[in-house]
Amino acid sequence: MTDTPQFKGTHLFDRLCWAKEKLDGVQSDYRVVYEDSVDECAKILVPDPNWMACALQGGIIPPVWVYHELAKDEAMPDFKKHTRGFLLHETEPMPAMTEEEAIEYLIMKDCPQSVWRNWDTGNKPKLVICRKEQLPGSREWRNAWKITEELSVTDLAA
Amino acid sequence: MALGKIKADTLEHSTAGTVDTQYVVNGSAKAWILFDGTGTIAISDSFVVSSITDDGTGAYTVTVTNAFSTSNYCVAESLAGSSAVACTYNNYTTNTSTAYKIGNRRVETTAFHDAKRANEAFFGDLA
Repeated sequence: MTDTPQFKGTHLFDRLCWAKEKLDGVQSDYRVVYEDSVDECAKILVPDPNWMACALQGGIIPPVWVYHELAKDEAMPDFKKHTRGFLLHETEPMPAMTEEEAIEYLIMKDCPQSVWRNWDTGNKPKLVICRKEQLPGSREWRNAWKITEELSVTDLAA
Repeated sequence: MALGKIKADTLEHSTAGTVDTQYVVNGSAKAWILFDGTGTIAISDSFVVSSITDDGTGAYTVTVTNAFSTSNYCVAESLAGSSAVACTYNNYTTNTSTAYKIGNRRVETTAFHDAKRANEAFFGDLA
């Protein structure tokens, strides 16, 4: 396995260039199904193979709280441009994760916070991690896909 | 960092003239993705992307690993429909500095339509 160079303080883009050259992509079978609006169909998050390779390798991607800080800045009414991009580059990168830990990280990075912070409140889960073969094989009724109401939060947590 | 580094403001060719390296940096794609938006969505290859979200028929969100400095970045894209129908594609809602939403629609009905082959390249200043 290729050792990750000491990347703290290296621009994230440069780290990702290194990873693109040195690491083989990892196609994950995991998918994240979530609902962020009652008026819309379920959405399905697909992990990127190159990103997954970085997560499993360790020492490349920043902690997820960095993205939350940038999102907070961007949500300010007087936001013009990011001035704390250094957080992406100068924060100690995450150590190697398991595939499952990487999916949890990705949920917190790329799903709306309103979904994952309260995934288990309400009458049914707002978010489910599954394998891709568990998704419907046909997209004919794609815009009607919903998380089943028969799925209980306690079943998922068990 | 273990990688080598060349520092220069200008690149000069023996006969073809010079170019400012800042021009090269600004003009390079900062992220790109090639994906199949039909069936179980699959990413064929990419760079600086963390995930793609299947938002419904013909609607997708690409999320990048290195945020842009603002949400005003440029995306060059082309999408081919999953069947032989004329399609148009556009950014159909508000972006953020990390997430870009793309919709592929049939020309004659404007209904969303799954894209068989989608190519996206992102240009702009990184955070």
